[in-house]
Amino acid sequence: MALIITCPVCGKRNGYEFKFGGEEKGPRPDETDLTPKAWCDYVHMNHCVAGVQKEWWCHKDGCGSWFTIYRDTTTNLERQVQKADHQEAEK
Amino acid sequence: MKDIQRVSPVVFKATPLKTEKRNNWEVVMEYSGEGEGPYLVDLSHKPRFDFQDADLAARKPFGIRIPEIYGGSALENGVLANRMNRTQVSLYCIDGQDNTVIPDEPGFTDVTESTMFVALIGKEVFSICEKLTALDFLDPQRKTPFLFQGPFSHVPCQMVTLSRDGDSSGIVLTCSRGYGRDMIHAVINAGEEFNLKPAGENRFTKWIKSL
Amino acid sequence: MNRFNHLPTLKIDTTQKISFIHKRKKIYGVKGDTIATALFSNGIRIFGRSLKYHRPRGLYSLDGESSNTLMEVDGIPNVRCENTLLKEGMVIKEQNVKGSAENDILGFLDKLDWMMPAGFYYTVMHKPAKLWPIAMKQIRKAAGLGEISPEFKMPGKFDEIFLNTDVCVIGGGPAGMMAAVSAAKKGLRVILMESRPWLGGCFEFRSKEHQNRLSLHERAAQLSKEVESLKNIRVFTHASVVGTYNNNLVTGFQIGKEKDAFDERYIELRAKSVVVATGCTERPLIFDNNERPGVMQAGCALRLAKTYGQLPGKKAVFSIGHDFGLETALELHDLGLSIACIADIRDDGQDPALLKKIADKNILLLKGWVAVKAHGRKVVKQVSLSTIDGSVTRKFSCDLLVASAGMTPVTGPITVAQGKLKYDNHTGFFLPDAMPEKMHAAGRIIGLDDPLSIEASGKLAGLKAAFDCENGSIQEIGQAKKDLENLPGPVRGTKLVTAPVKGRKSFICFDEDATLKNIKQAIAKGFDVPELIKRFTATGLGPGQGGIPGHNLPLYVAKYQALPDISIKPTNVRPPLVPTLISTYAGAGHQMLKITPMDEMQRKDGGVFRNIGVWQRARYFSNDFSCKNEIENVRTNVGMLDGSTLGKFRIFGPDAVKALQRVYVSDMSKVKEGRIKYSAMCTDDGCVIDDGVVVKQGENDFYFTTSTARAGQTAEWIRYHTRYDGWNFAIVNLTDAMGVINISGPNARKVLQKVLDIDLSNEAFGFSEYKEFKIQDTVPVKAMRLGFMGELSYELHVPSSYMKSVWLMIKEAGREFNIQNFGVEAQNVLRMEKCHIILGSESEQRTNLLDVGLGFLWDRNKPEAKTVGAVALRQAEKDQTRLKLVGFKMENNTRAPRDGSLIVDTKVRGYVCTARDSFSLKEAVGMALVEAPLSKIGTRLEIFEDECGNNRIYGMVTQMPFYDPDGKRMKM
Repeated sequence: MALIITCPVCGKRNGYEFKFGGEEKGPRPDETDLTPKAWCDYVHMNHCVAGVQKEWWCHKDGCGSWFTIYRDTTTNLERQVQKADHQEAEK
Repeated sequence: MKDIQRVSPVVFKATPLKTEKRNNWEVVMEYSGEGEGPYLVDLSHKPRFDFQDADLAARKPFGIRIPEIYGGSALENGVLANRMNRTQVSLYCIDGQDNTVIPDEPGFTDVTESTMFVALIGKEVFSICEKLTALDFLDPQRKTPFLFQGPFSHVPCQMVTLSRDGDSSGIVLTCSRGYGRDMIHAVINAGEEFNLKPAGENRFTKWIKSL
Repeated sequence: MNRFNHLPTLKIDTTQKISFIHKRKKIYGVKGDTIATALFSNGIRIFGRSLKYHRPRGLYSLDGESSNTLMEVDGIPNVRCENTLLKEGMVIKEQNVKGSAENDILGFLDKLDWMMPAGFYYTVMHKPAKLWPIAMKQIRKAAGLGEISPEFKMPGKFDEIFLNTDVCVIGGGPAGMMAAVSAAKKGLRVILMESRPWLGGCFEFRSKEHQNRLSLHERAAQLSKEVESLKNIRVFTHASVVGTYNNNLVTGFQIGKEKDAFDERYIELRAKSVVVATGCTERPLIFDNNERPGVMQAGCALRLAKTYGQLPGKKAVFSIGHDFGLETALELHDLGLSIACIADIRDDGQDPALLKKIADKNILLLKGWVAVKAHGRKVVKQVSLSTIDGSVTRKFSCDLLVASAGMTPVTGPITVAQGKLKYDNHTGFFLPDAMPEKMHAAGRIIGLDDPLSIEASGKLAGLKAAFDCENGSIQEIGQAKKDLENLPGPVRGTKLVTAPVKGRKSFICFDEDATLKNIKQAIAKGFDVPELIKRFTATGLGPGQGGIPGHNLPLYVAKYQALPDISIKPTNVRPPLVPTLISTYAGAGHQMLKITPMDEMQRKDGGVFRNIGVWQRARYFSNDFSCKNEIENVRTNVGMLDGSTLGKFRIFGPDAVKALQRVYVSDMSKVKEGRIKYSAMCTDDGCVIDDGVVVKQGENDFYFTTSTARAGQTAEWIRYHTRYDGWNFAIVNLTDAMGVINISGPNARKVLQKVLDIDLSNEAFGFSEYKEFKIQDTVPVKAMRLGFMGELSYELHVPSSYMKSVWLMIKEAGREFNIQNFGVEAQNVLRMEKCHIILGSESEQRTNLLDVGLGFLWDRNKPEAKTVGAVALRQAEKDQTRLKLVGFKMENNTRAPRDGSLIVDTKVRGYVCTARDSFSLKEAVGMALVEAPLSKIGTRLEIFEDECGNNRIYGMVTQMPFYDPDGKRMKM
């Protein structure tokens, strides 16, 4: 696969080693008072940006970490990687 | 009642010349026709541990230091410690530590049984590797010893490159035990053109002591 | 034929003969020959027949640009004979002929071209509708190149190699070699790929002066020596690039040399920077019968002599449009070829030195002339030349017509990587305009022709590539740029595509037999852009991958429609840029499957294995796939099953319970030591994806199992759903660490008691309990009492290396009870009789926890856990439109329906999950997912099996479980 993803633990690797985890949408909402629509939006609604989006990937064939990257969906190239975003990725 | 024996996931089509009984394992010290290298050595009987802790910097499993850099490895007192990520390190007792028992601490898990474990030794090792994986063992940015967590013959593995120095080049590799048969087949097949042969533990011991 | 043996450029060894079989006759080539050049040296001019019209076809180029020379070699169809080296004993056959290539019975089709206009199969023979199926059969029979039998097994050794490098140079000509050397001198890792078996490119076979009396071929040798002297350049010859992608992924394949361990291998390469120096091929000249055997390109004619030591003919006519054509004529003349005439498309602009030599040798040169027709029924015998305007014609006798309109850059590697080309009016080329990131072009591909310019551009590209690898300086690059600018730039190219002809027999694409007339027909139908014309006429869709028509088509279409130059757009090319064998893509083809620690023993016991997911598992233990004996033995006696493929995990740490609460639907804070907790995991939609058991091993320390299919994803699943929480817990996958033996049947306790010295009585080790102990003080075992099969059952989790010993112990202990293996299919029936579900059989992606009747597992009182699926389940509770899992038995004691059969009335109402003829119950039973209104006990189910026509079978919804409804047997 031409895609290269930068794993915060293992570095740049072939896209085949990773599993896609969807767009970044923030933490799970609280269940109390959660309307079905709000829940459905959280689970299923996506922005589908034509451009750079923040998204989750898992290095499934490598270290197993979940982390976020910025990817340009029009070129399938990874864009700037910000260190701070990877704290949440660490196990 | 039968004798209790432990069986390695690695089976070579070669005749053992010398074997040794150790902790119910029958360890092959030497095979017939080991050739001039490269060598493939079964190390599956060597104890391996997974150690996880939120604060690894404060921990010294088996009294050794844990590499700080992710993907870094260190060989100390015969134990190879490989930093897998922020909270996890794999520990291979590769040099004369076959009796190591699991420390009575919650962070340790004995994973000896989880994986098959082999060493690939010899100057053609990386020519064999490039037939099986896209990982760049010769990346000048990495300093030996270092850990790869990634696919080898399509199967997720841990690989530690211990030396890239000519004849003494070599890596050790673990993958899920179930893949043992097919992994050995793939490696032997890829190494055939380089005359890769199964070898006994003596070859490995000699090599690891020479590093 | 006598071969030259004295030329310094030869790549053959005339002293070493190689015999091979052509049309059942043994003939000879020499070492270094390709199949094509060996055939040519034996006087063979017709290699095969064309796809549609069965026209004779012969050697036209030498790099595989067309399908003219595709032949069957050793049973392998469509071998590219121009690119395949001759080997001793090869058996060569002609393709697409009835009779022989020389006398093809289907040759008359050439006269029926009027019946087959462009895209005829889209339009004719469709009315009346009944006609098409008949016509289709005939067309299918005639279509396609080469034949292969379904039993054919590809011989040969195939391999693969994955490379990492700093700089990858595509093309081993002068520009590529210069690029490789200049990057390598920076200490970088360089890979140089060349599609021919040797380096040298357009220099390697030419005697023209490079500079200082050094010939081009001597310069090529000099450069390749320098390349070989640099240790950090890895050279791959006979290696073609088939694709280039973003992030500089390059794929290709290499053909092995004699000493190589492979015949062909797939190459996948990742570079930090790529230099494309693929040079040019020739742009074909189009006229009547422009593909008649005897017509060939200038480079082909010259290389036949200089590389392969044979004259391409006796008497030649040249119709060319570039100085390389003149150079070729002169070189071949010096080697003994008689030249009747050279027609040069250009009125002026020729190299004066070449003109002088031509004049000195008294060769007739007609400027502003072009070939309009090749005569001769099978091979060229005469050529008609005319002025460009067609006003004057002359005929010449000859057996060789060297025809070439111009050059065409090989830009595939740039465009498939999404680089853009732009038509350049000066050269007439599509030149690289916007290059992909970290990719650079050099050499003839950017329009250069002067040898020194070509080299300078290579050096510049090499330095730019080094700079991409953070090596080198802007100043250096600036200097190299200046050096290049001081050398001659691109030369003016001819734009003529076709001689003044009507075009009925003028072929723009050889592979698909597409003529100029076809192009006009397509345009008349409204296909106005090359990309559409290409598809409608199939021009460029053949095995040559557009090598022949790629450049001419857009030029011709623009001219025919009177478009300004600016709008001339090339058609897209796609990988593979060069065709190769599927076997090469398959590579070494290592099968990577897991085996369990019992694999060897089960095979000895007659296990019939199947690949199930990543595992190989024993599915049956006899050839009776109904598994009657295996099933009855478990029900009445005792059987043993290998359950090692179950997912097994340890999860521990201060927040382990929180993580379990998140993913399991049950309240996991209630897991007690010594007890087994059965639970399930759902997706966010409430759809059930996994079930398994959890046991507590210590404080904040749990061991749990998952289904076989989920084992690979469980750790990642738990981490995903806790990724924002920062919880402190650890997971270790122990799936392969432990083998699992399941001992089931009324005699299970008796067998096990012989092996273990712990109390196994129902009071000491009851149903749903968990124990840890050691066998013979050595083997640590985790034991569970479960009842998946509905019988008294023990599941032992044993470290994998000890499994063989434990397995043998149990077998020996069970001998007096006649213990038997049972496989996955027997297990499937046993559990189905008990209505225990297997996720994936009794569920699909949309099936939720409530649908399959596992709602009792769900604990609604833990909202703080934010359990995955809980919100959706709350909504689904009120939903009456969902499918329900029901049990059914067949009416009138008929056989069980096939799994997956549909439940219907006037429409589809559900489907059968698992159904079998049950030996335990003496009737056919099964489980099905049906719409809620059909789920009432007693409902009649109409079952539609695949291809059953109007014959339905019927079942009736019945109480679950079918077997031992009180569950007494598993609690014995």
